[in-house]
Amino acid sequence: MYCFLRLSVLLVGLIASAGSYAVNAVQPLTTADDLGPKVEQPIEFPHDRHAGDAAKGGMQINCMYCHTYARRSIVAGIPPLQKCIGCHQSIESVRETPRIKKLFEYWEAKKAVPWKKVHDLPDFVRFNHERHIQRFVFAQNKPVQEACGYCHGDVKTMTVARRQKPLSMGWCVSCHQKDHPVDATSTKTTHGPNDCWQCHK
Amino acid sequence: MIENSFNRRDFLKVLGWGGATVALSGCGNTSVEDGKEFVTSYVQTADYIIPSIGTYFNSTCAQCDAGCGIMGRVREGRVLKLEGNPKSSINNGKMCGLGQAGVQAHYNPDRIREPLLRNGDKGEAITWEKALGLINEKVGGVKAENVAFLTGGVSGHVKALLKNYLDALGSGHHYVYEAVAPSIMRAANKKAYGIEMPRLRLDKAKVIVSFGADFLGAWISPVHFSQQYARFRKADNGERGVLVQVESKMTLTGANADRWLAIRPGTEGILALGLINSLAAAGLSVPGDVAAAVKDYTADRVSKDTGVSNEHIGKLAALLKERSPSLIIAGSAAEGYAHGSQNATAIALLNQVLGNVGKTVEAPSGVPFPQMAPTPGNRFALQALNDNMAQDKVKVLFSYGANPVFTAPASMKLKENLKKVPFKVVFAHYMDETAVEADLVLPLDSALEDWATAMPEYIAEGAQLSIQQPLMEKLYPGTLGMGDILLALLKQRRPDEYKGYEDFYSYLRSAMVSNKGALGGANEDDDTFWDTALSRGVVKLVGTPVNISSNASAKGLVVPAPFVEDSAYPLHLIPAVSASLRDGRNANEPWLQESPDPLTTIVWDSWVEMHPKTAAKLGIVEGDIVEVASKSGAIKAQVYVFTGIHPDVISVPLGYGHEAMGRYAKGIGVNAFKILDPVFDKETGELAMHETRVKVTKAGQRVIIVKDEGPAGGNQMGRKIAVRMSSSKVNLSEEV
Repeated sequence: MYCFLRLSVLLVGLIASAGSYAVNAVQPLTTADDLGPKVEQPIEFPHDRHAGDAAKGGMQINCMYCHTYARRSIVAGIPPLQKCIGCHQSIESVRETPRIKKLFEYWEAKKAVPWKKVHDLPDFVRFNHERHIQRFVFAQNKPVQEACGYCHGDVKTMTVARRQKPLSMGWCVSCHQKDHPVDATSTKTTHGPNDCWQCHK
Repeated sequence: MIENSFNRRDFLKVLGWGGATVALSGCGNTSVEDGKEFVTSYVQTADYIIPSIGTYFNSTCAQCDAGCGIMGRVREGRVLKLEGNPKSSINNGKMCGLGQAGVQAHYNPDRIREPLLRNGDKGEAITWEKALGLINEKVGGVKAENVAFLTGGVSGHVKALLKNYLDALGSGHHYVYEAVAPSIMRAANKKAYGIEMPRLRLDKAKVIVSFGADFLGAWISPVHFSQQYARFRKADNGERGVLVQVESKMTLTGANADRWLAIRPGTEGILALGLINSLAAAGLSVPGDVAAAVKDYTADRVSKDTGVSNEHIGKLAALLKERSPSLIIAGSAAEGYAHGSQNATAIALLNQVLGNVGKTVEAPSGVPFPQMAPTPGNRFALQALNDNMAQDKVKVLFSYGANPVFTAPASMKLKENLKKVPFKVVFAHYMDETAVEADLVLPLDSALEDWATAMPEYIAEGAQLSIQQPLMEKLYPGTLGMGDILLALLKQRRPDEYKGYEDFYSYLRSAMVSNKGALGGANEDDDTFWDTALSRGVVKLVGTPVNISSNASAKGLVVPAPFVEDSAYPLHLIPAVSASLRDGRNANEPWLQESPDPLTTIVWDSWVEMHPKTAAKLGIVEGDIVEVASKSGAIKAQVYVFTGIHPDVISVPLGYGHEAMGRYAKGIGVNAFKILDPVFDKETGELAMHETRVKVTKAGQRVIIVKDEGPAGGNQMGRKIAVRMSSSKVNLSEEV
């Protein structure tokens, strides 16, 4: 009896593994397939309006103005609601639009907006925003939107953010194996760490 | 039959194979989960709050009465870890294991979450409005003298509010009860020095002789004493202090001593007087009446009475004479007898004769606000309350910070007397043994979510008001702080005086700010003063000077002869106060149950400590379940054979054996409080904790003791770290 059971479980496992491996094997690093699902957010936050080019009606706000924790902490964090209100209480022109009205409803109720996570790595992966921002933006003087865009894509053209890259381990490693200049002026190059425990700790 | 052919091992094998194949398939596959989890931001926050980075806030530890300052690491609005607050002169940034477990008191799954009113055998959840209304109705319906308030040690603003509430009711019946307080020593100190709790300067002493004071483990303010002890062992001048511990059962302090002397239980006073006699004979100047009173305590007689060898008494006297100043401490082992007061007095007299008063026994600072000064608890209070309950003099009883049903000996019949009280209100964190008996249970905020101030009984230097502030939002909306409850009760009685305060926080802030001159903030504006106080966690006060008297006198000093042995109950029971569990109030914190006892390494259970000779005589080996019977009851527990105990003594730790309280405490071990005999100290009326005589009989079973220690005293892998040597081979001339 149990031999039969053992065999069947083994077979199911093997089929599952072969199947999923086949799906993954054909997947190149960046294709349209890497687009994450559309995530419905409580407020459809327009990244394009805030960070987009002026020519396209954007405000060209620096990413780090709102995502202020990215350069100081392992998580980028969602800005506190008071940050949104800080500007929007003085922007009369959009005060009565549906999204801003909803924003003020949350503010007046002193309730946090229940945002959904768009880029959610598994719990066994520790990705450090601070290290990446400090290296690319502050040491190498890369434009902020380019540095953030390595992983998050061209957010300034989106409304609600959507995952653009696979964020798989292979994809992370493909970048960590490339040589980068140490800082903006140096000719010396280095690459990202490839030790397991850098991310899995 | 699948149960027969498919056992657990096969199931695991199959699971393993299946799991491995599925895991293989996972390679290269990302398990990024978009749009499934929420990411919650702050609504409003300070600039220094950064997600994933901890922020530290200062507060005060409420795990024991020492009142150490703590810093809580708070991340994303939750307190994660506690550290010591360096600004508190009590612990100077250090902390003990008991304090560390404070987060488990806070996050404990067994906390009561809403007020409960008795309905038959069950507690029915009611609103706070109804609960407070019910109290108002009940206290209004009885005479003021029939209202009693039982608490543990109290201090600070909560004490001031409590006093005001009792004044408003017109009841003076405030019983302050602590099950393991050094109350007999306090009385003896008061007589000898004029001060109940002098400051002990371990760091200034060159020799410490401690009569059973476990100052490194569980005695008064162990974190503070541990730091002083470090300086005593490595003084600035390079001279290493010598610690001699005299006790019948080895404590953590005894294990650290240079010389541990096993003394016959209760003869500590005799040894102290014998030492005075030896010192006088060696030429130390001793007042005439003292010398006359101790002249009969010759080394031979003392050695016979106490079981401490002549040689050791001589060495101890020589050591005390040679090295000054010294410090003699009377601990719970010396004071736990019917003649405990005399023992403690004899030990204080030794301090005076040696000229230690003013050098290593110093006057503390007086507290400038007497209404907030600590009211330390004792055991007599519970006896007084119990007598009044037995005579139907108590109609409404409040209980806060005490668990008398657990800590009272069975002979007091406290549980039965409690049933005579028509309305019992218990303020509690858990459904402990006392809360189970209550008619109304009011759930308290944890110490990490409540406001309070504290003035510990033992203040290391100067005077200090410690602030306890919330480290995070309340976990449960249905709990309330003690200060808030008292304020609500006071609003019922004195609405005009208290209606201006919305909650205890506003009362506390206003009370502190209006006194900022006396609290060291005379030149600061209100907000600066208050923010500074909260940020530091302590407010230093200018203490008032207190006089300490050092007149050595043998007046009224009578130390009785040693015990007459009792053939029916041949052994002495020492209820041990462990550094983790103390009187058992923190037993529902699993870290404390899990951290091994420092001497026996036993976890998660009670044990009976027994000398190998006694065990051999009774035919007992480690792990035997024995029945320990006193005249007042019996308990069953496993035996741990241990050389660090006098052969006439067995020891059972306190704090175990809860019948209620929560999942980590209930049913773990046995309650040694229950079998204590009703013997009382003759001068103070305190329950004499070490007076119980017991007999031990094998109950037949044998278990494997769950402990960290390896076989035969620990596996040293041939490294010879602590080599066992029989005492006859120790060369005493090289020892203390």
